Amino acid sequence: MFLRLAIKSLQNRKGSVMMTVVAIGVSIFVLLGIEHIRHQAKKSFASTVSGVDLIVGARTGSLNLLLYSVFRIGAPTNNISWESYQQIISDSNVAWAIPIALGDSHKGYRVMGTNANYFQHFSYGNQKSLKFSEGGGFEGVFGVVLGAEVARQLGYSLGDKLVLAHGVASTSFSLHDDLPFTVVGILEPTGTPVDQTLHVSLQGIEAIHVGWDRGVQLPGKGLTADNVKDQELTPDSITAIMLGLNSRMAIFTVQRRVNQFPEEPLLAILPGVALSELWQMMGLFEMTLRLISLIVLVSAVLGLGAMLLASIRERAQEIRLLRVVGAPPLFLFLLIETEAIVITVFGIVLGVAGLSLCMVLVQEVLSARMGLHLDVLTFTAESLILIGWVLAATFLVAAVPSMSAFNNAKSVVGKALP
Amino acid sequence: MAIQLDHVRYAYPEAPEDVVLNISEWSVSDGERVFVHGPSGSGKSTLLNLLSGMLVCREGCVSILGERLDKMSARQRDRFRANQIGYVFQQFNLMPYLNAIENIELAHIFSHRERKRGGVKRAQELLAALNIVPSDWYKPSSRLSIGQQQRVAIARALVNKPALLIADEPTSSLDQENRDNFMSVLMSLATENAITLLFVSHDMSLSRDFGRTDALADVNRSR
Repeated sequence: MFLRLAIKSLQNRKGSVMMTVVAIGVSIFVLLGIEHIRHQAKKSFASTVSGVDLIVGARTGSLNLLLYSVFRIGAPTNNISWESYQQIISDSNVAWAIPIALGDSHKGYRVMGTNANYFQHFSYGNQKSLKFSEGGGFEGVFGVVLGAEVARQLGYSLGDKLVLAHGVASTSFSLHDDLPFTVVGILEPTGTPVDQTLHVSLQGIEAIHVGWDRGVQLPGKGLTADNVKDQELTPDSITAIMLGLNSRMAIFTVQRRVNQFPEEPLLAILPGVALSELWQMMGLFEMTLRLISLIVLVSAVLGLGAMLLASIRERAQEIRLLRVVGAPPLFLFLLIETEAIVITVFGIVLGVAGLSLCMVLVQEVLSARMGLHLDVLTFTAESLILIGWVLAATFLVAAVPSMSAFNNAKSVVGKALP
Repeated sequence: MAIQLDHVRYAYPEAPEDVVLNISEWSVSDGERVFVHGPSGSGKSTLLNLLSGMLVCREGCVSILGERLDKMSARQRDRFRANQIGYVFQQFNLMPYLNAIENIELAHIFSHRERKRGGVKRAQELLAALNIVPSDWYKPSSRLSIGQQQRVAIARALVNKPALLIADEPTSSLDQENRDNFMSVLMSLATENAITLLFVSHDMSLSRDFGRTDALADVNRSR
């Protein structure tokens, strides 16, 4: 009867109650949404690369190197000469090396030049290595292996021919259209930037750039498909190297050697350390987001309190009636509190439902555009604690109108002067 | 005695100099039906609130059915009111968004008689006795006519079988026909249940149904 009274009373004030439920719902949406994306982004970023001990690139900030080599975000500052590459991988501590050459693209997806080591040694998530869903690694010069998302979005299958573009803009006017590549392999989805990448051999990258100078193709100097085989296709330079070492103990030795490389200024980073630097940088941003979502929530809860407080005035007669049938003041206090909690619970349900729906809709876009893989909304202990706090805040704020009802209901003790 | 007031003086705490009620002695015996009339401002609401325990006086004694209201704790007064006193207002006797049955049940849950059991059944019996057709039992009470609402209010007031029924101008928003109808069911139910009835109104034509008529101005000597 108690809960029925609270719910029917709320139904009776549908308009203002619905607005308040929506306000609470929106704030829950923002709060849990930010929390979820924060978690997922961390998980997604952290699982992008594993098993790589060092990443080597031209001297730059360690974050910059991490971002362009692993996440394909931003642009490399400089290249590593082929001689330096040879020298570094000849180090006895180096077990394997993956050379990376970036700078070209295909319909907005980045192209990465590498070698067979990539498919053999690169791993992501919990030491998962790359697998082919179709085909295999590139044998010839003009083979291309597609990330799962590239193949899906652009509808390529094995044997299709495609043309790379110079530069990384999504619409490029300088195409390497004289030398098309053939799809020889498609990778299984990984939920990492690998899905958004086209992989070609270093020789292929070199071949399409013969006869190019400063980003422009010089007429008559390029290769044709026929004379490619006569050429020595050793690249002059590459963008970065991922290194796997024989022993983890050697990481700092190799790192120091790279950082003090005499021929050119290089930088070696530990991916894990660079990632934690990334979190530190994001920390302030995260705090700001959480603070904003908290403020949104506080204002929604205060709105709820204001709505209930205003309703107490309108309900003076209801309170008098309840009193006359014998309701103690505590009953009225709890009635208003219950109404507040019911509103918040509905708000939470609305917010969570909206967020789940949004996640399903946004998943696709985020995965395709940013390589960010979001799981569907799950309740972590942290988000349950947040919901607990929301309910506690509701109870606290609703204490104001509830006390008002309580005081309205108390018997007035008369005082007559003698 | 159903009601016994002795040297009661009451002033609201915000204005302690302004004594609104000053009754040296006034009583109603068990089973009596008393009609009280008085102009507005004569201390009528204050008196009724004192009798129902919504207000508490610190001077004099207020005893209802032999119990001192002014000596009870707040909780005891609320329980006493739920069990022993039925109350019908001029208007707003029912929660507008609850139906008739729910309104009667709501009054029932605060009493300790029969422990919440049989509330619906008793509500239905009362509604039937008050000539409310069953199709109106489950409508939100805001959709009942004023006449029906006032009759449901009697059922709501009587559900806990109180010994005292206070009616505060219950007929002033009713037309002639509904008023007569209301008075006849009220009187027959009061007789049936042997309830002491305190009826406050300024409509002197209603006083012929009562054995005793008091002018509040005579009872209250505050001014």
